[in-house]
Amino acid sequence: MMELFWTVFSTTFFVTVIRTSTPLLLATLGGLISDLSGALNIALEGMMLTACLTAVVVSAYAPWYVGVCAGMLMGALLGAVIGYFHLRLKADIILVGLAINIAASGGTVFVLSVVTGGDKGTSINLASKAVPALDLSFLAGIPGVGPFLSGLLSGHSVLSWITMLLVFGLWYFLFHTPQGMWLRGVGEYPAAPEAAGIPVRKVQLYSLVASGAFCGLAGAQLAMFNYVGFTRDMTSGRGFIALGAVLLGARHPVGAMWAALLFGFFEALSVVLPAKFAFVPPEAINSIPFAVTLLALFLFSYRALQAKRMAGSGQ
Amino acid sequence: MNDVSGDRWQTARAEGGRVALALGLALAAAFALIAAISAEPATALKTLLTGPLSSTRTIGLWVDDAAKLTVAGLAFALVFQARQFSMGVQGQALVGGFCAGAIALSPIGATWAAIPLALCAAMLAGAAYGWIPGYAKARLGANEIVSSLMLNYLALNAEAYLVRAFYAPRGETKSADFLPSAKFPALIANTRIDLGLIFAAIAVLVIWFALYRTAWGLKLRLVGHNPRFAEYSGIRANFIMVSAMTVSGALAGLLGAMFVQGRAFGNLAIAFEGYMSFEGILIAIVARNRPQVVPFVAFGYGYLRQGAALMGLRSDVPTEVISIVQAIVILLTASTFTLSGRALVARWFKGGKP
Repeated sequence: MMELFWTVFSTTFFVTVIRTSTPLLLATLGGLISDLSGALNIALEGMMLTACLTAVVVSAYAPWYVGVCAGMLMGALLGAVIGYFHLRLKADIILVGLAINIAASGGTVFVLSVVTGGDKGTSINLASKAVPALDLSFLAGIPGVGPFLSGLLSGHSVLSWITMLLVFGLWYFLFHTPQGMWLRGVGEYPAAPEAAGIPVRKVQLYSLVASGAFCGLAGAQLAMFNYVGFTRDMTSGRGFIALGAVLLGARHPVGAMWAALLFGFFEALSVVLPAKFAFVPPEAINSIPFAVTLLALFLFSYRALQAKRMAGSGQ
Repeated sequence: MNDVSGDRWQTARAEGGRVALALGLALAAAFALIAAISAEPATALKTLLTGPLSSTRTIGLWVDDAAKLTVAGLAFALVFQARQFSMGVQGQALVGGFCAGAIALSPIGATWAAIPLALCAAMLAGAAYGWIPGYAKARLGANEIVSSLMLNYLALNAEAYLVRAFYAPRGETKSADFLPSAKFPALIANTRIDLGLIFAAIAVLVIWFALYRTAWGLKLRLVGHNPRFAEYSGIRANFIMVSAMTVSGALAGLLGAMFVQGRAFGNLAIAFEGYMSFEGILIAIVARNRPQVVPFVAFGYGYLRQGAALMGLRSDVPTEVISIVQAIVILLTASTFTLSGRALVARWFKGGKP
C-alpha cells in the first residue's frame, strides 16, 4: 500500500495525470460548449476518433502542427455536419450524434485499411509524428525547489499548456463577453435572445463547430502524444466519460477541469497499477474510469436534484 | 390508431418512400466509395448485393442475424417510444447471455430444463441490468445515456473477466461447447436458423400487443409523445419510464441468450455480441420505433450487413463501408421527423437552400 502511496505522490505520476486528463478535458470543454448552447452532443466520441485518424494520417506527411490543425478542422467539420442535420433538417440531436459515432467507428477502420493497404487494426505502418513535450528542465537550476519544479512542469505536451489557457479563455468568453452571454442565453431559453435580435441559429451552429474543434484537439493529443499512432476504437469511451464530466463539472469550464482531472487521475491509476499489482485482473483496472464516472454521475445528479428541490420548496 | 385503413396505407407508402430514398442515397454513396477504392468494383458490388443468397449457409447466416437484429431493434424501439435514449442493450445482452451460459454450463445444462431456465435467467438478469439506469434517472436524475453507456463498458469488462477466469480453458477466449440439450435446436438442418427465430417472432407480437393493446402501452406512448400531457392526466411518468427500460432490458437479455445458446455459438465467449446490439438503433429508427415494422427492417438491413461481410471476405473492399450506409440512413430518416419526404427531395436538389 505504501508503494502505491509513493507512486501517486510522485512527480512522474503527476505528469501522467496531466497526460491522461488533457484529451478528456478538451473533449469535456467541447461537450460543455454545445451543452450550454442547448444541444446534448453525444458525438464527442465519434468526433474525437475521426480527429485521431486525421491527425495521424496528415502528420505522416506533414509537420506535427499541421496534423494537429487537420484534426481540429476535421472535428469542426463534423460539428458543422451535425449542425446542418440538427438545425436545418430538424433531426433529433441524439440520433445525429449516434449516426456520427457509427460513421466514425466504422469509417475510421475503413479509411485506415485503405490508407495502410489492408491493416484494420493499427497505423503501425504509417510514420506519424508526435506532439513535442515542452522541456522546462532548466528550472532545475533554481536552488531548493528547482528539481521538484522541473519534475512537475517539464515533459507535458504543448497541447496540455494550450488546454490550460483554453480553460481560462473559455471561462472569460462565456462569462465576460457579450457573445458568451448570447451562447448561454440561447441554451437557457432560445425565445428570449431570438426576441432580442440575436441570431440564435448561428450561435447554435458555431457552438457545435467549436465543440467539434475542441474534440479535434482532444483527438490530436490522444493520437499524437498519449499514444503515437491510430488504433481501432482508440478513444474507448473517453467521449462518453467527457459527457459525464460536463455534468459533474456543473457546466462550468473550471468545474469541467476538475472533473476531467478526477477522471484523468483514475485513468492514470489504471496506467500505473498493472506494473505494481500484477494480481489484480486487467479487466478490473480497465473498469476503473467507467465505474468512477458512473458513481460520480449518480452522486452528482442526486446532489443537483436535491439542490433543485430545495430551491423549489424555498419559493 | 384510429386511422381509417386508407390513411394508414398512405402514411405507410409515404414513409416507405422516404426510407427507400434514404437507402438509395446511402447505397449510391457506398457505390461511389467502392468504385473509388476497389481494383475490382464490379465483383465487390455483386457480392454486396447478391452475396447473402449465394448458398444455403449464407441464407442461414442472414436469417439468424435478422432474428437477432429484430430483438435488438425491439429493445431500442421500446425505450425510444418512451423517449428514453438508453443505450444499454449491449451491456444487458452481455449480462443476460452470461447468465444463460452459466446455466448451460452447469449440471442443469444436461437436462431438458436447460433452455427454459437459461432463457428465464437471461431475461431476468437483462431486466435487472436495464432497471439500473431507469431507476437512477427516476430517483437521482442521472442522465440515462451516460449511465447506460458506462454500464455497457462495465459489463464488457466483467463478462470478459468471468469468462476468462472461470469458464474458458487457459489462453482461450471461449468456453467448451454446450451440451446439445442446452443449445437451441435448428429449425432447418445444417443452417444457423434456430429456435431464436421463433423467440424473435414471439417478441414482436408481445411487444406490439403491449404497446398498442394495453393501458401500459398507451401510457408509455403518451409519456414519449407528450410528457406534459401525460403528467397532467395523472400518469406516473417515472414508473412508466423505469418499466420501459426494464422490459427493454429483458428483451436484451433474450438477445444475449440467443447469441450464446444459438447455433452460431453454442458456447460462452468473451464479448460474444460483437457490437451487433448497437445496430438495433438503426433498426428502431428506420422502423420509427414501431414493433410491427422492426422485423422487416431487420431482414432488409441484415441482408445488406451480410452482403457487406461477404464483400469484406471475397473482395478488396473492407466490410466497414456498411457503417457509412448506416450513418447516412440514420441521418436521412431522422431528418424527416418533421419534414415531409417531398420537401426533403426538393431541398436536396436545391442544394440545401431553404
